[in-house]
Amino acid sequence: MHARTMRLSGWRTACRGGALSAVVLGLYLVVPTSCTSTDPAAGVDAGPPPCEQECKDETGVRAIRETMKLIYNLTLQGKPVGEQNAAVACPKGGKAYIFGTATSNADQGTTEVKLTYEAEACAYEQRDDDADESYNVVLTGKIVQEGTLAVQPSTSTALVMKSENVTLTGMVRLPALDYRAEACKLEMTQNGNKLTATFCGRTVGVDL
Amino acid sequence: MTLPIPFAESRATVVGALALLVVAWLLASRVALAQPAPSGSGVAPAPSASGLAPTSAPGVAPAPSGSGVAPAPSGSAPPAGSSAAPSAPPPGVVVPKLVTAPDVPYPEGAKGDATVALTVVVAKDGTVREATPTEENKPFSDVAAEKVKTFVYEPATRNGVPIVAKIRIEIVFREPPPPPPPPRVALAPPLPKGLPPMVIEQVDVRGLRAEAGRTASLSRAEVRQVPGTFGDPFRAVEIMPGVTPIVSGLPYFFIRGAPPGNVGYFLDGLRVPVLFHVGAGPSVIHPALVKQVDLYPGGYPARFGRFAGGIVAGEMQDPLERPHGEFNLRLFDVGAFAETPFADGRGSVAVGGRYSYTGALFSLFSPSTILDYWDYQGRATFDLTPDDRISVFAMGSYDFLGQTIEGVDEPLTLFGAEFHRLDFRYDHRIGNRGRLRSAFTLGIDKSRISQERNTRDRLIGTRTDMEYRLSPEMLLRAGSDAQIDSYDVQTGQADLGPSGSTLLSLFPSRADFVLGARADVVLTPSPRFEVVPGIRADLFASQGATAVGIDPRLATRTKVSDRVSVLAAAGLAHQAPAFVVPVPGFTPGGIRGGLQKAVQQSLGLELAVMTDTTVTATLFHNGFFDMSDPLGATAPQPPSCPPGAFPRGTLAGDRGAGGGGGGGGGTCGARFPQGTIGTDRSGGGGQGSETSGNSLAVSALEVRTRGRSYGMELFLKKRLTSRVGGFFSYTLSRSTRTFENREYTATFDRTHVLNVALAFDLGRNWRAGTRVVFYTGVPQATDPSAPSTSRLPAFFRVDLRLEKRWNIGKTAWLSVVAEWLNATLTKESIAQNCTLAGCTATYIGPVTIPSIGLEGGI
Repeated sequence: MHARTMRLSGWRTACRGGALSAVVLGLYLVVPTSCTSTDPAAGVDAGPPPCEQECKDETGVRAIRETMKLIYNLTLQGKPVGEQNAAVACPKGGKAYIFGTATSNADQGTTEVKLTYEAEACAYEQRDDDADESYNVVLTGKIVQEGTLAVQPSTSTALVMKSENVTLTGMVRLPALDYRAEACKLEMTQNGNKLTATFCGRTVGVDL
Repeated sequence: MTLPIPFAESRATVVGALALLVVAWLLASRVALAQPAPSGSGVAPAPSASGLAPTSAPGVAPAPSGSGVAPAPSGSAPPAGSSAAPSAPPPGVVVPKLVTAPDVPYPEGAKGDATVALTVVVAKDGTVREATPTEENKPFSDVAAEKVKTFVYEPATRNGVPIVAKIRIEIVFREPPPPPPPPRVALAPPLPKGLPPMVIEQVDVRGLRAEAGRTASLSRAEVRQVPGTFGDPFRAVEIMPGVTPIVSGLPYFFIRGAPPGNVGYFLDGLRVPVLFHVGAGPSVIHPALVKQVDLYPGGYPARFGRFAGGIVAGEMQDPLERPHGEFNLRLFDVGAFAETPFADGRGSVAVGGRYSYTGALFSLFSPSTILDYWDYQGRATFDLTPDDRISVFAMGSYDFLGQTIEGVDEPLTLFGAEFHRLDFRYDHRIGNRGRLRSAFTLGIDKSRISQERNTRDRLIGTRTDMEYRLSPEMLLRAGSDAQIDSYDVQTGQADLGPSGSTLLSLFPSRADFVLGARADVVLTPSPRFEVVPGIRADLFASQGATAVGIDPRLATRTKVSDRVSVLAAAGLAHQAPAFVVPVPGFTPGGIRGGLQKAVQQSLGLELAVMTDTTVTATLFHNGFFDMSDPLGATAPQPPSCPPGAFPRGTLAGDRGAGGGGGGGGGTCGARFPQGTIGTDRSGGGGQGSETSGNSLAVSALEVRTRGRSYGMELFLKKRLTSRVGGFFSYTLSRSTRTFENREYTATFDRTHVLNVALAFDLGRNWRAGTRVVFYTGVPQATDPSAPSTSRLPAFFRVDLRLEKRWNIGKTAWLSVVAEWLNATLTKESIAQNCTLAGCTATYIGPVTIPSIGLEGGI
């Protein structure tokens, strides 16, 4: 870890000029964040705490929300406001479509969305030092999202997301645990960082 | 070859330690070559079409190239074909000395060798008043008489007073070998004992347009004398006028305001994805294989396209007629090249390469750092007939920069890149009028960073290249090429934040296609005027999007006098969106934002001061449109929130604000322009851990800017292989960008860039050289505490070189070279750090490369 710390301090200073940051970042965009989040040795000897269904659902709901965010950011961010209809190949496999409307108020720093996400075996994976933030899942289903996305200060995210039929399979947490939720109903709200969901008839709350 | 800048800076120590070894060189100045030289016009096998032997002017020998005559150093071999012995002049009389001698071309349609003797009357002003062949031998005698009249001499004198003199000279014509199968280089006849046996000296690094005028050139022998280049012809590009470094020692340049990603690298028409090894490494091609390197900073010939900045084009050395080889040994890498003919000279095989063993060296002072690189080249040729040659050329390169982490077996990959090319060629000579090359290329490019993230580009391409002389005044050059690139992008176990997602969408897996066709005509309506109109068309296709670029080009060369020429070039160039610097397999897809465009124009003067001294002065102006130039997308900003950004401390749900790594410190949010959809930044975890540095940089990758650059370039060179030689290269320029209706000075604009070098022959086969590099600092953000300071501090460094050479027998040699880039250990500032009390420059380095090495050849 020591070596990486030295390297990061170097990059950070070099990046301050703004000019070189593009060079550095273009080549090593994700290295800095990864260096703070990936420690292969972390938690090896601690032994995993017990994780029952609720525990796994928390990571499952997180995975759904962050896969939606991935689809959104891959397709819509930075695009002109208005009617949306876009498709994207998910980085780990599968496809996703997103359509609906999105409008922004740049002065307030908000984007209002009324979007439908349709995932076709859209695969996504996260690894994190926190076991409950790690997963490797495949999402299938149609989810409707409506509300406000906070983009600037002084605003807060407020979203409602619903689906009649969502399938989420794969592995959650570290060490990986099998997870399978098929053809489940989903009702999920996000208020700031707090995510509350009813998924497969089970209520789950998680802080993003 | 050296540590990357961030390492250097983080350690804040001298990055020196990398001893490079350099190699010896081949002394050019004392060799008379019968080696063909590049054609001035590109067609007629110009090589050594003529040799000149003024029988009354001892000390003048045939030039090694077909460009005319050059004074031979003392002891040079007598010119082939010269039969007349110099007659002793009367007491007090000094015979005329040749000053300039334009090309004497081999006559169109002629056959065989010929020697023409002429009686020449040299006037008091040095011009040739009469040139009369002693006997008629058309068409040789006509061509000789016509061309000799354009020669210029230092007039003969009697007791110091100029007089009219009559002398006798001979012009030796040799029938040029067939050009399409490139002529094999004939070795010089055995040299007198004590002279360095040298073979390959014809590596020219040319500035500006070779076609429109070789306004600045360096031979390979000269390149070896330039401290800081380590004998690498490609690295010598950095001393050329118009070339602005990003950071001292790094081989990435702005060329007339165009960013490094817009500069294309070619070797024999084959595109090379990356030209230099990681960091400040050497080029990926062994120097012995390189015959010449041309720099085209703008208005380049039609055969170069799909780059809107500049072109660095290398040309491979032709096969020799007998086995030869070179090696070099440095502290951290070893390189070698060997070639031998077979089948009675109809075929040849060459292999070369370099292997780095930096691990042992790095273990001494940076045990956690891993830096490896290697490259290889191979070539086989076979002449099916005197007019037909088949050949295959293979080349590849590998780089790895990583770090070992305690407790982890696998090293952390910081950056890895490799590429491989296999090029099959068929060359055909079209009588004496031209040549045709057809080639087929397979290749693979790979790059990788940490966490199993990598890109791969598998490509297949084909190209044709033709030159055909329609008439003595008209040379047609045409060609076409096509290429398919299949990109495969793997994100591994990625935490894809908004910026990562955006970046991924810019570089997706896909297949791209390009198709190009071009033609130009070299028109020489008079010996004093050459004009080259040309045009090329390129089709780009990626992810369902297509774009077409039509690029007209025009270049002229007007000879005002025997010493002065006026050079002009203009052209349009298109390029698909590009990444910041060349990285194998890392190319934006989808042609988002359309093609980049550049309008390039220049006007220059070329002045031959003496036979070994030239001066060029060039004015240029480039306009850039829809540039994908991340380095220039933002005006200099203090390390706080730039316009359009916002403090992020209170952003709801954004747990990543204010922390993490990456540039920028995490205090500012991304731009949120009116009318666009904002980013979903909610939540923590990988996706939420966005930093302003990331978002700004990705934003910079997306935006398009306009720009322009203009300035003046001055290049003065006295042949570096002279007893005392050197050059003076100076660029005065300004480069600007316009984004969102705001024009500002470009991020890497440097008003003054100066390179001055001197090389000395110390005698007894010792040579020494020194080079001074100076350039203005880059623009900085306004500092409220010092509003008059608009730039970071300037940079200045001195490079040194010392060489001792031994000749072993008649054909072998050995050299020890000590070289030191940045011997002054100067640190360089490319950023500033601002606080409430004001801003201070932050420094990196010093980036320095001391080197000692051994080189030999046979």
